[in-house]
Amino acid sequence: MVRILLRFSEKIVEQPITAGVILEHGVPISIVAAHVDSHGGEILAEVPSTHVEKVVDAFREKGVIVTFPKLIEVDSEKCFNCGACVSLCPVSAITFREDFSVVFDEQKCIGSPCGLCVDACPARAIRLVEQHSSGLIQ
Amino acid sequence: MKKLVESSGVEVAYKEVDVVTTGTFGAMCSSGAIINLGHADPPIKIQRAWINDVEVCHPGAAVDLYIGATIMSETRPFEYGGGHVIEDLVDGKEVEVRATAYGTDCYPRTKLRTTITKDDLNQFYLLNFRNCYQRYVCATNSRDEIIYTYMGKLLPKFRNATFSGSGALNPLMNDPDYETIGIGTRIFLGGGQGYVIGEGTQHDPGNRFGTLMVRGDCKKMSSEFIHGAAFTKYGTTLYVGIGIPIPILNEGLAKKTAILDEEIVTDIVDYGIPRRERPKLGKVSYKELKSGAITIDDKKVRVSSLSSLKTARKIAEILKSWIENSSFYLSAPAESLPTDTVCKPMKQTEEMAFVNSVTHAAVTCTEDEEVKAVAERIINRSVNHVVVTDEQGKLRGIVTSWDITKAVAKGKRKLVDIIIRKVVTTKPDESLEEASRKMAQHQISALPVIDQDRKVLGIITSEDIAKLLGR
Repeated sequence: MVRILLRFSEKIVEQPITAGVILEHGVPISIVAAHVDSHGGEILAEVPSTHVEKVVDAFREKGVIVTFPKLIEVDSEKCFNCGACVSLCPVSAITFREDFSVVFDEQKCIGSPCGLCVDACPARAIRLVEQHSSGLIQ
Repeated sequence: MKKLVESSGVEVAYKEVDVVTTGTFGAMCSSGAIINLGHADPPIKIQRAWINDVEVCHPGAAVDLYIGATIMSETRPFEYGGGHVIEDLVDGKEVEVRATAYGTDCYPRTKLRTTITKDDLNQFYLLNFRNCYQRYVCATNSRDEIIYTYMGKLLPKFRNATFSGSGALNPLMNDPDYETIGIGTRIFLGGGQGYVIGEGTQHDPGNRFGTLMVRGDCKKMSSEFIHGAAFTKYGTTLYVGIGIPIPILNEGLAKKTAILDEEIVTDIVDYGIPRRERPKLGKVSYKELKSGAITIDDKKVRVSSLSSLKTARKIAEILKSWIENSSFYLSAPAESLPTDTVCKPMKQTEEMAFVNSVTHAAVTCTEDEEVKAVAERIINRSVNHVVVTDEQGKLRGIVTSWDITKAVAKGKRKLVDIIIRKVVTTKPDESLEEASRKMAQHQISALPVIDQDRKVLGIITSEDIAKLLGR
């Protein structure tokens, strides 16, 4: 699965775009996080890696801005396992191991729509990074 | 020790165990290091000095400097500070020293700039006024906004909680009556060996909030256990690793060192109320704190530490190995730590002003009113803010004279279309200083005053505060 970030402007936010893409292309799209109001919105979605290009093109045709969300990168050299980030993570992507090492699960992280942990790190060991540089990024 | 006492009893444990080692590794803000630079030629009696742009204080004669952990860099505030300077020096890194002076006949020099490493210093000692709290509170936040504190980042509406300290591994918790810990007790300090030099400031043994003052040779420390840190919007600090060996001199100490996390209880405290006496929301044990979740108001809340429990364990292990291979010798204290001191609040000669001293009745309206009616009210009552309430008087929103002007210009008639729903509010017992900070931060000029049920008690405006200050 690949995570994509969809941004809807005020103009198109009321249209059933995500549903349209799912129906037209028959691709399962899973919504990980969403923030939508009358002024526009942001949806973090997961799409099968085999269909990324098709789905991204379909969203862009409908006027959606598609990017690949920045994920969190933990510099293990700098991290001193304090745990200040652990209670902030809404999806339990940062947890303690049995020995109280802090571990980060990239699969669970929702990246830039959240980012709560970044400025909470006393060691400044967490930063937002591009997931991967792909030709798909505009 | 804990397992042995449980399985075989205190008597056996007392006979079997000689020493219990403890450890903690957390942010300890009242930390710093004293350094002596050696004399310059011509000599200088330093008046002000900076290391890597962090101002260091000059408490003594010519070239003695104290690097305070919480002093922030003038060029990179909130990112780099005294704690980082100490870490860099411990790490063997080169740092830049700048100094100015007024010049005397014996110390003529007025300016100085040089680079140094720890090897260039005569003395480089960690000298911490208050370290190693016996236990600490668990912090959470009732406000509807994120707050940044020395207890870390606290999410709105009790969405997370933080704590500090190693619980059953804490040095003072294992010897709560200070039978073996006192002035002269040799300890693990920052990866090297140091000493307890007395009780720490704010030492409060009666409430189980004992603290230590410690000293140790930084040149022999390791940055794994002496670490600069930065708390967003709070400032910089120093993470300090401390381990203390507790000799099992009697059965009582065997029993005391068997203390468990579930026996160490602390308060859950609301840091959303920035007062000396912050509201206590309940009690919690270190066992619950270490489990990752606690309960506040019947709701499950994620909790995590700010101090590293992993490193705390490592410190206790290292200290154990030092004792076993005879590279660390236990020392008897020259004097015990006091058990009867109390921590008094500050004597204040001027009372602080709080929101309730300037609160006045708010002009209100309801959601179903027309823009025109509210515009008339604004003119008749000569105010700039109208608070929108429901039938019970609870806050629903706010409209300003500016919103009304815009609505009139655009021909909008219904109030409901222009109400601002996200309202920054205050409470009667909030300090005026805090309230004005909120107004400045959000670039607004009034705050509705509400109670815990969001019922509107009144309003304060920046004019009210200006008038009070002008008195």
